[in-house]
Amino acid sequence: MLSQWILAIALVLVGLYLLKARKSASQQAIRRLFIIVALVAGFIAVLFPNYTNVVASLLGIGRGADLLLYAFVVFALFYVVHQYRRQLWREKVSTDLARALTLAQAEIEDLKNLRKR
Amino acid sequence: MPKSARVPTPPLEEQAWVVVPVFNEAEVIGPVISNLTRHFSHIVCIDDGSTDNSADLARDAGARVLQHPLNLGQGAALQTGFDYVARQQGATHVITFDADGQHLVSDALEMLELAKRKRISVVFGSRFLDKRTKPGLKKRIVLNLAVLFTRVFTGLRLTDAHNGLRVLSMEALGFVRLEQNGMSHATEIVHQIAKSKLAWREYPVEVLYTEYSKRKGQSLWNSINILIDLIVR
Repeated sequence: MLSQWILAIALVLVGLYLLKARKSASQQAIRRLFIIVALVAGFIAVLFPNYTNVVASLLGIGRGADLLLYAFVVFALFYVVHQYRRQLWREKVSTDLARALTLAQAEIEDLKNLRKR
Repeated sequence: MPKSARVPTPPLEEQAWVVVPVFNEAEVIGPVISNLTRHFSHIVCIDDGSTDNSADLARDAGARVLQHPLNLGQGAALQTGFDYVARQQGATHVITFDADGQHLVSDALEMLELAKRKRISVVFGSRFLDKRTKPGLKKRIVLNLAVLFTRVFTGLRLTDAHNGLRVLSMEALGFVRLEQNGMSHATEIVHQIAKSKLAWREYPVEVLYTEYSKRKGQSLWNSINILIDLIVR
């Protein structure tokens, strides 16, 4: 089934993102385009609920509601992974900051001690 | 600071800096530091945001104490210590030494002597090269898993991957930049040394399993965390 391929590939991509995501302009652009596409698709789905059924059957999924559920699960997983990566990055930033502060403080103390002698 | 060029070169242990990461070790830190001061003149403790008075005790015992403004993890504390030592004039070696009293100062001295005499850039302590250390079964499983990960990730055939006692030359220190703040730094350091192609050696050391160090030791679950830390970076 087409839907199985799409979902399997989507999950692999989420996994790759977990391993390889870097702060890059291209990845940010792709994420933003993705959100725009999702918004437009959502809007269409709200206006014409029947379309989800049509797309679902094209992909080999029973109902439009199932299609939405699958899309939601993939999106939610991606979101979790993205936040995790961001957290790792923030941790690195705060570590660098804390270390710089610690070393600067140490240098001040060392200079003071040197002057005392 | 040397005042004139005629000042003789200070002995070996005066050019070595002992780096001791500290997090809430008030129960044991005092004696650990004062033992070290008998043989080493440069000891730097990185207090990793302790909530007890570890920092004061270490300072009173004679260590130079640097304080992280918040708890970052042992790997981060070591790296801060490395950065500090890298700025010190005349430093030739760095010795990493755990604060919980599980290492012997005599082992550290012997490792330093070996590094200096044979010009080996990195000497790793290993508790499995002789029969002195007797870890329990669970500990043995955890440590063997760590050794296995380390071999797979770094290609270095160490017998003890998570021993906190190491001697690094300043040259070796240049290749080390720990980004794993938590406990995974032990494998990270081996990885970076492996990439540097510098000469390394293992040296038999004893690890004292006191009630205290057992309580603070790593669990089996943590080896899974370390594995994942190293894959997802």
